[in-house]
Amino acid sequence: MYNIYYISAIQLNEFIHRLKKTFTVFAPVERKENFTRETDYSYKKLAEAEQIVFNPYRAVDPLKVFFTHSKEEVSQYFGPDKEIIDLKKTVIFGVKACDIAGHRIQDFVFLEGVEVDALYRVRRENTILISGDCTDFKQVCHCLAWEILPHPAWGFDLNLSPLNEGYLVEVGSDKGTELIRKFAEYFSPAKDVQIAGRLAKRESLIDRLRRHLLPQNLVTKDSVQKLVKDGYNIDTWQQFMQTCVECGGCNFICDTCHCFLLADKKDHQQNKKIRIWDACLYASYARVAGGANPNKLRAQRLRFRFTKKFDFFIDNLGIPACCGCGRCIEVCPGKIDIREVLKDLAKKLSVKT
Amino acid sequence: MKNIFRPIEATLEDVIVESANIKTFVLRPKEDFSFKTGQFIELTLPGLGEAPFTPSSNPNIKEKIDVTIMKAGRITSLLHSSQKNISLGIRGPYGKGYPLEKFHGKDVFIVGGGVGLAPLRSLLFSLFAEIDKYNKVILRYGARSPQDIIYKEQIPEWSKIKNVDIVTTVDVGDTTWKGNVGLITTILKDLPLDLKKAVAIVCGPPIMMKFVTLKLLDLGFKPDDIYLSMEKNMSCGLGKCGHCRLGSFYICKDGPVFTYAQLKDIHDIWD
Repeated sequence: MYNIYYISAIQLNEFIHRLKKTFTVFAPVERKENFTRETDYSYKKLAEAEQIVFNPYRAVDPLKVFFTHSKEEVSQYFGPDKEIIDLKKTVIFGVKACDIAGHRIQDFVFLEGVEVDALYRVRRENTILISGDCTDFKQVCHCLAWEILPHPAWGFDLNLSPLNEGYLVEVGSDKGTELIRKFAEYFSPAKDVQIAGRLAKRESLIDRLRRHLLPQNLVTKDSVQKLVKDGYNIDTWQQFMQTCVECGGCNFICDTCHCFLLADKKDHQQNKKIRIWDACLYASYARVAGGANPNKLRAQRLRFRFTKKFDFFIDNLGIPACCGCGRCIEVCPGKIDIREVLKDLAKKLSVKT
Repeated sequence: MKNIFRPIEATLEDVIVESANIKTFVLRPKEDFSFKTGQFIELTLPGLGEAPFTPSSNPNIKEKIDVTIMKAGRITSLLHSSQKNISLGIRGPYGKGYPLEKFHGKDVFIVGGGVGLAPLRSLLFSLFAEIDKYNKVILRYGARSPQDIIYKEQIPEWSKIKNVDIVTTVDVGDTTWKGNVGLITTILKDLPLDLKKAVAIVCGPPIMMKFVTLKLLDLGFKPDDIYLSMEKNMSCGLGKCGHCRLGSFYICKDGPVFTYAQLKDIHDIWD
């Protein structure tokens, strides 16, 4: 059982800056190149004397960028196994509930199953997640559809809930406890009235988000697996893929998408095995030697993406591989909207959503 | 902690020509390496890339591994033009392989097509090593033409082993060919087996596997007793990279050998 504390805004800033002595701290900053009505936030290495920003909703970047890289060396030819040691310790500030829920999929893939990915595990162990309640939402946010609440309940080391001139700090792990102990001067035990205040703020946001989502009539967690299974031969896939430009953006920006390709890099000194993120929306994704391709059509590839998210992961992990962050909706140049694809399936299959 | 992506070094000791576009590569790993029949490996040309293959040698022989490979794409073409004594990389073994203990006391009916006989040769060697544990071993093998038959010298030798029954066919014969002519399905009749205690194992090109499976069901085999070697573009071999997903399975870690019962409700399994 972990505790809840209070920290003032000024002290929080000081606390995070002091963490920089031991950790590389990433925190969200407002993106200057933003052209939309909404303000976007992106993780950046916290600079000296820079004021920490509490982002009201998730950043543009998915959490996975800190644990697997779009292209990285994973092994050498040949020689002994190199120990993965002394990776820089990292703090990620501003993580949201959707990120944590989505990251459960990454953990399942890289930490569980037949083997553990050592590089991923070292990065995971060396990283501290300081999450925060959402205090607002983006137009595309739909975590509630998947029964994910907009404040983290698990999976963080420390979680911040803004309250008055400061924050309630919930401890979620032994690493979090250790931080509180080490910087005890900043933290005072939370009072019942403060915890009640947190609850009221949380409920008020859930209520606002619910009212935002209600008219959208979204597909629910209980019905989604049956929908994508029954909808295998529905023309939804063809229809929505008409505007796909095969950029792979939806895959790369997704908190849960984890696919990669092991490739080789020629080097006269030492050849290397590298891992590159791959996208199931690419024509090359499923192609085999000789050119045969079970996913030659773009519609097959969209269907592959959806059956992976809503059938495979529900079968194998019990949860859909979508956290409702809406990143894929924002990134898509073809305006393909995951919510609309599912709704179209539901409509065509006449399933009540 | 172990690096799961690290290839081990193996010397390419010999290259045996099996047909115009199929060669067997004899590898000598420089570290301990063993596999169970039906498991696959990732064979890599350092710096150039890798591809998945199922060894064709006897798993009881530890110091050498044979991999029989048809020239089909970039990596296999590079392998086919490789000379002896170069270093290759091996990762694996991956997957589950054939559940031999389930075949004990049974008529083991094996159907192979083309280069699909390669992984089946490894299975045959495993069966031959303990032939008394099985009631019968029946092999039906089809190739495109007499020139495309692999392991030409070995097949007659295998036929001499007790309780082993082998019939081959070619799609198109030639002037020298005295054997059966016709698709593999044409020799799947009058089989010397007892359906009540038989298992069927199929490996070959997808179209052949499809029609053989349908034929086996027709003959009365239960979906549970039909073992299929499935293939996709496995990359990591560990159920992490995503590529070889088939329904709610990954071929690399849940297979590559599946019973038809496991797969029959999945769409487009033969694509």
